[in-house]
Amino acid sequence: MKRYVYINDDNLAKDIYCDNRISNRKYTILNFLPKNLWEQFSRFMNQYFLLIACLQLWSLITPVNPASTWGPLILIFAVSSSKEAWDDYNRYLLDKKANEKEIWIVRQGIRKLIQAQDICIGNIVWLRENDEVPCDLLLLGTADPQGFCYVETAALDGETDLKTRSIPSACMGIDVDLLHKIKGVIECPSPNKDIRRFDANMRLFPPFLDNDIFPLTIKNTLLQSCYLRNTEWACGVAVYTGNQTKLGMCRGIAEPKLTAVDAMIDKLTGAVFVFQIVVVIVLGIAGNVFKDKQGRKLWYVQYPKEGPWYELLVIPLRFELLCSIMIPISIKVSLDLAKSLYAKFIDWDVEMVDPETGIRSNAANQAISEDLGQVEYILTDKTGTLTENKMIFKRCCISGRFYGNESGDALTDAQLLNAASTGSADVILFLKVMAICNTVIPVRSKSGTISYKALSQDEEALVCASARLRMVLENKNGNILDINFNASPMQYEVLDTLEFTSDRKRMSVVVRECQSGELFILSKGADETILPLTYSGQQVRTFAEAVEQYAQMGLRTLCLAWRKLEEDEYQEWTSMFKEANSTLVDRERRVAEVCQRLERDFEILGVAAIEDRLQEGVPETIEILRKAGINFWMLTGDKMSTAIQIALSCNFVSPEPKGQILIIDGKTEDEVCRSLDRVLLTTRITESESKQDVAFVVDGWALEIALKHYRKPFTELAILSRTAICCRVTPSQKAQLVELLKLCDYRTLAIGDGGNDVRMIQQADIGVGISGREGLQAARAADYSIGKFRFLKRLILVHGRYSYNRTAFLSQYSFYKSFLICFIQIFFSFISGVSGTSLFNTVSLMAYNVFYTSVPVLFSVLDKDLSERTVMQHPQILFDCQSGRLLNPSTFAGWFGRSLFHAIVVFVITIHSYAFEKSVMEEVAMVAVSGCIWLQAFVVALETNSFTIFQHLAIWGNLVGFYAINWIVSSIPTSGMYTIMFRLCEQPSYWITMILIVATGMCPVLALKYLRYTYRPSRINLLQQSERLGGPILSSGIIEPKSRSSLDKDIPTDSVYEPLLSESPSATRRSAGPTQRLDSVQSQSPPHSTHTRKDN
Amino acid sequence: MNASNPSSSAAGAGSADSTAPRRNSKRPKYSRFTQQELPACKPILTPKWVIGTFLLVSVIFIPIGVVSLFASQDVVEIVDRYETDCIPEPSRNDKVGFIQSNQSKTCQRTLRIPKHMKQPIYVYYQLDNFYQNHRRYVKSRSDQQLRNNGSLQETDACKPEDTTPGGAPIVPCGLIAWSLFNDTYDFTRNNQILNVNKRGISWKSDREHKFGKDVFPRNFQNGTLKGGATLNPNLTLSEQEDLIVWMRTAALPTFRKLYGKIEVDLQRDELINVTLENNYNTYSFGGKKKLVLSTTSWLGGKNDFVGIAYLTVGGLCFFLALVFLLIYLIKPRQLGDPSYLSWNRNSSGH
Repeated sequence: MKRYVYINDDNLAKDIYCDNRISNRKYTILNFLPKNLWEQFSRFMNQYFLLIACLQLWSLITPVNPASTWGPLILIFAVSSSKEAWDDYNRYLLDKKANEKEIWIVRQGIRKLIQAQDICIGNIVWLRENDEVPCDLLLLGTADPQGFCYVETAALDGETDLKTRSIPSACMGIDVDLLHKIKGVIECPSPNKDIRRFDANMRLFPPFLDNDIFPLTIKNTLLQSCYLRNTEWACGVAVYTGNQTKLGMCRGIAEPKLTAVDAMIDKLTGAVFVFQIVVVIVLGIAGNVFKDKQGRKLWYVQYPKEGPWYELLVIPLRFELLCSIMIPISIKVSLDLAKSLYAKFIDWDVEMVDPETGIRSNAANQAISEDLGQVEYILTDKTGTLTENKMIFKRCCISGRFYGNESGDALTDAQLLNAASTGSADVILFLKVMAICNTVIPVRSKSGTISYKALSQDEEALVCASARLRMVLENKNGNILDINFNASPMQYEVLDTLEFTSDRKRMSVVVRECQSGELFILSKGADETILPLTYSGQQVRTFAEAVEQYAQMGLRTLCLAWRKLEEDEYQEWTSMFKEANSTLVDRERRVAEVCQRLERDFEILGVAAIEDRLQEGVPETIEILRKAGINFWMLTGDKMSTAIQIALSCNFVSPEPKGQILIIDGKTEDEVCRSLDRVLLTTRITESESKQDVAFVVDGWALEIALKHYRKPFTELAILSRTAICCRVTPSQKAQLVELLKLCDYRTLAIGDGGNDVRMIQQADIGVGISGREGLQAARAADYSIGKFRFLKRLILVHGRYSYNRTAFLSQYSFYKSFLICFIQIFFSFISGVSGTSLFNTVSLMAYNVFYTSVPVLFSVLDKDLSERTVMQHPQILFDCQSGRLLNPSTFAGWFGRSLFHAIVVFVITIHSYAFEKSVMEEVAMVAVSGCIWLQAFVVALETNSFTIFQHLAIWGNLVGFYAINWIVSSIPTSGMYTIMFRLCEQPSYWITMILIVATGMCPVLALKYLRYTYRPSRINLLQQSERLGGPILSSGIIEPKSRSSLDKDIPTDSVYEPLLSESPSATRRSAGPTQRLDSVQSQSPPHSTHTRKDN
Repeated sequence: MNASNPSSSAAGAGSADSTAPRRNSKRPKYSRFTQQELPACKPILTPKWVIGTFLLVSVIFIPIGVVSLFASQDVVEIVDRYETDCIPEPSRNDKVGFIQSNQSKTCQRTLRIPKHMKQPIYVYYQLDNFYQNHRRYVKSRSDQQLRNNGSLQETDACKPEDTTPGGAPIVPCGLIAWSLFNDTYDFTRNNQILNVNKRGISWKSDREHKFGKDVFPRNFQNGTLKGGATLNPNLTLSEQEDLIVWMRTAALPTFRKLYGKIEVDLQRDELINVTLENNYNTYSFGGKKKLVLSTTSWLGGKNDFVGIAYLTVGGLCFFLALVFLLIYLIKPRQLGDPSYLSWNRNSSGH
C-alpha cells in the first residue's frame, strides 16, 4: 500500500486522508456509559454480581432488600467509571490543547495561521525554533544554507540528544519565497509505526525540477512531537496527520497484565462458585422436599395447592441469592486500593531514588506488585543495565603497540601523549578516525567550551578521548568538519556516511580532505566485521590478540581502519549508493550490499578499548537475588568473551571450580545440535550432583537455530540451568527467550534500559526499565522504572514480597469473612424450614461487607511480617513467595475451615443463649452479627504481624464504629431495628455471649497457631522469632559459609520443611550459597570447547 | 504502554528537557508513613504469653460460669405440656378434626409450685416446631399499615391475607397477624382467681412507635379461612398487646411468648389450677404447646447453657495451659534458632 501526497494541493487530499485532529480519548460523551459498562461487564465477577442484583429485583425470591447488592455494586461501578471518566477527560483536555495550537501553514501561496487540527496532507507547515512538530512532515527547507536542522526526539524515542535532519537534495537551493509555491508528489508507504524508517520518493513538478525521482529517508522527516532546536526556521509538507502519524501508530494500549496472585484468586473464586452452586442445589432440593413433606402441613404458611410452573425453582434461587455473599463483592475494591498503595510505596521510597540524577522509582503499572515477589527468572540486558553505560576510552593498540597497559588509562600514558604531540603518522591517523568517523555533533557553548552530543556513547567516548589527545573536533557545519590538531586547523568534507546497523556492526564515512582533495574511507566497527576486510598481506594477529586481551578485561573493543579512495572509484560507487538509497523495497539490505563494495582492503590502524564500568552494587544485588532463588539470564548484544567476563565479575556465575560455563555454538544445524546435546548432558550430570553452578552460553546465531529446530532440548536446558548468557542477540530474540520461559510457566522479569529491550520488557510478566543514558524508551514501556540496577533487590525483596504477603492475607481474609456470614445464613436455613429466610437484615448485610469487615483488613497493607533488614539478610525467604506458599488451595482451605468453625461457634452459641423467650428475630440476628464482628477483629489482630497505630485504630475503632452505626440505626423509629441495639447492650447476657463467642472462637485458633509457631515453625516464623527476640540470628548476621558448616553438623536433616518447596520448580535449583569474589582474571574459553572452561 | 503522548510533551514546549525526567526528579517527601517505617509493636507468640493468656482466660471464665450457673439455678420454672392431655380421650385419634370442630375445648390443669416463686412470675406459652421464621410467614406483614392509619392499603407484602374477597384491606394484614395464638389461660389458687396482668407484656417501643394509636382492626378474621385469635375491633392496635407480642417473630422454631405476669409470690407446694381454652391448632404439623411459669434472674430465664459453656471453655483453657506448660518444660525449644532454617541445613552437603 502506498500513499501519494501532492504538495500544496488543497483540493485533492482533504477527502482521502484524515485531518490532523489528535484523539487519545477512549470515550465520547455519548458512548461513555454504554462502552464503559460494557467493558466492566466483560469481567466474570461483575457479570455474576449483576446477575445476582437482577435476581434480587424479583421480590418473590429475594431474601433481603435488593439494595444490599445494588448499593455496593453501584458504588464499585461509580468509583471505577469516574476514575476512567476523569482520566479520559484529562486526555481530552491535552488533546484539545494540542489540536488548537496555532500553526503557520501555506494556503494558496499565502502564509496563514490555523489550528493544528486543520492541517491537511500536502499542506506546507512552517516552524520556528523550539516549536513542536504538529504532524509528520517531510522537510522542504530550513534556515540553514546547507539544508540542515536539528530536532529533539525525546518525546518519540526518549533519546535526548539532538538529531540532524536534512532537506532532500531536490529541494536544495530553492529560494525561501519559492517554497510557498512548490508543487510535487511524494510516494510514501501507508501509515506505519516504524519510527526509524521512511522509505519514500519525491518528484517535484516543473518549474522546479523535472521528472527526477529523489529518494527520501527518515533523515528528511520531522516527526510529530519532536522539537525543532538550534534552527531558526524550517518548513515541511505534511505526509501523515492526526492519529496516522508515526507516533499515533505507535500508540497502543497494552494488554493488561494479570498477576499470578490474581490468577490464583480467580481460580479460587471459580472453586467457590462451584461450591456455592453445589450448596444451592443441595439446599434447593432439601427445601423443596421439606416443603412437600412438612411445609404444606403448616397451615399458617398457606402454601397454595397449585403453584406456578417455576415453583420448583423458587427455593433454589432464593438460596442462590442467600449464598451470593460467599463471593465477596468488596474484594476487588479492597485489592485495587491495596495495589495502588503498593505502587505508591514504590514511588515514595526514598531509598530507591538515584542519588546522582535524582530520578525516583516509578510504578507505572499499579496492578502487578505482587508478581514482583514471585519472580523466578530475571532477564537482564547488559549495557546500561548492569553497567553504567558511561563509556571511557581506556586503552588502545596502535600498529602493534599497546598503550595504557601500565597505567590502566591510555589518556595518561606518556608514550601515547608523546606520540601524539610529535606527530607519529600512525597515531595521527588513528586519532583522525576517532575524531571524524562518527555522527557526533559538537556544540559550542557561550563560554567557548565544546560539548558533544552523540547518539552512541562509544562515539562520544572516542571523540572526547581524541580531544584529550589534541585532535579536537571543533565544529560541524553541514558536511564540513573543522578539526584542530595541535593548534593547526584542518577541514574535512563528509561525502557519505555508511551508517551503523546491528547487522553490519560497523560504520564508515567517506571524507575529502579539503586542502589536498584526497578521498578516504574511515571505518570503525566490531573486530569480526573489520578484521576480515583487510588488504591481503596485512598481519592482523596482533590486533586479534589485542582484542582478545581487552575483551578479557571486560572492555569493549572497536577496530579502526582506513583506506585511500580513488576519485573515479568513488564516483562510480556513489551513484550506486544513491540508487540503493532510493529503493523502496528492502532498502536496508541493498544499502548494506553497496556499502560492502567500498568497505574492503582496509588497513587496520588499531584497536580502541572502551571501558563500561559496572554500576555500583550490581554484584551484591545479583548475589542476593540469586540466593533468593531467582535465576538470572543475561541477554546482550555484546560479544561472547566480554559478556562472560562481565558475567563473572557481577556474580552471575561462580568462578572455577564451583562455576562451570558451557558453550553452545556452531555454525550449522548439526554442529549446534551436537553442541546442545553435549551441554544438556553435562548439565544433567552436574545438576544431579547439585553442587555446581552451571551456566550455559549461547550466541545469537546458535540461538536462532536452537529455537527453530531444537526447541525441546533447549527448553529442557533452560529449565535445568540457573544461569544463561546469551550474546549477540537481537531484540526479537530477547523477546522470544522471554516467551520461552513464560511458556514453561515461570514468572519472568525483564530489565533493560534501551530501545532494544522494549520488546522483551513488554513481553515479560514484569518489565523494569532503567531510566538511563540511552533514553527513556525502555522506562516508558516498562511497568516499573528505576534509576539503578541495584534498586532491583529492594523492589523485589521488599516491595514485591510485602505486596505478595499482604495481598495473600487480604484476599483470603475477604473470603473468610464472606464465608463466615454465609455459613450462618445456611445454618439458619435449617431451623427456618429450609425456606430461604435471611437471618440478617439488609443494613447489616450491606454494612458487614462494605464497612465492618473491609476497613480493618485494609490496613493490613501496612503489615510487615519481617523487617526489611532481616529480609535482606536472608533473601532465601523469598522462596515462600515464589512457590506461592501464602496463597494456594491449601492455605485457602485453612481459611475455609476457620470460617466454618467460627460460623458454628457463632451460630450455636447465639441460638442457645438466645433461646425461648429471648429468641426474637431481630435480636438473634444482631447477636450473630456482633459475634462475627468481634471474631473478625480478633482474627485480624491475631494475623497481624506488626501493629502500627493505624492498625490499632482500624481494628478497635471498627468495633466502636460498629456499635455507633447500629445505635444510630436503632434510634430511627421506622427502621426494623428500632431500639434493638440499645436493648441488647443493656443486657449483661449480651456481653457475656460476646465474650463466650470470642473465647470459644479464638482459643483453638490461638492454640493451633502457637503449636505450629513453636514446634513446626515456618521459615518466616523462625526469622520473626529471632528478629524480635534478638536471638542468635542477628548476632550471626549474614551466615558465612564457615560458621554454617560447623552449625550443620549436629543437626539431623528433617524433611518437614521440604515438600512444599519442591512444588516450586526453582527449588530444585537451589542457590549454591554465597559465591566467592572473583579474584583473578579468568581466561575465556577456547572458542570451540564445549566443556569446562579452563584457567590459563 | 503507549510510546508517548504528544500532548503531554506540549506542556514542556520551549524547554530543553522532556517532561518525564523532570517529573521524576522531584524527590519524594520523607515521612515515616511513606517509607513504611511507622513505629510498630511486633508481638510474638512466646510460651510465656500464650500460657499466660490461657490461664487468664480460665481464671476469668470459671467464676463467670459458676455465677451464671447459680443464677440459672435460682430461676424457678414450671413447664406444663398440654397439647395432648387437653384433648379428650376419644378424640385423640383425630386431633385435627377435634380442634377444627366446635366442641368445647376447655381443659383443666393443675400445677404444683416446686419452690417459692417471687413475683413477678412470668407466664409464657411455648410452641415447638412452629416456624415463625419461615420465609413466607415472616415477610407477610405490613409495618406501614400497623403504624399508620393512612396506610390501610399497603397490603402488598401480606398475600394471601391482604384483602377480603371484596377488595377491602384487612387490618392487620398478613399471615402473622392472621395466625395469632388464641389459647387462653385462667389461673386460680385455692379457688381464688389469681390475677394475670396482661398489660405491659409487649415492648414499650413497639406500642409507641410500631403499632398505631389510631389504627383499629378491620375485616380481621372475616375471611373464609379461619386463622387464630380475633381482635377487639374497638381497641387500637397499640393496645392489642397479645398481637404485638406475637408479631415479634421468633428466630427459632421453639419459642416462648409472654402471656402475662402474675404479680404475687407463690409459695412452695401450692397448687395452681389452670383453666385453659385449647383453641390453637398445632396438631396439623405435630407441634407441641406448653404453659410456662417462670421467675427471672439478672441473666434472664432459666438457661444453663451459658454457665456450662463458660465452665467448659474455662476448663479447656486451663487444660491447654497445663499441656503447653508441660510440653514447654519437657521439650524446651529455642525460639528463632537459625539452625532450623532449611537453607542452613541443606547446605550441610557442601
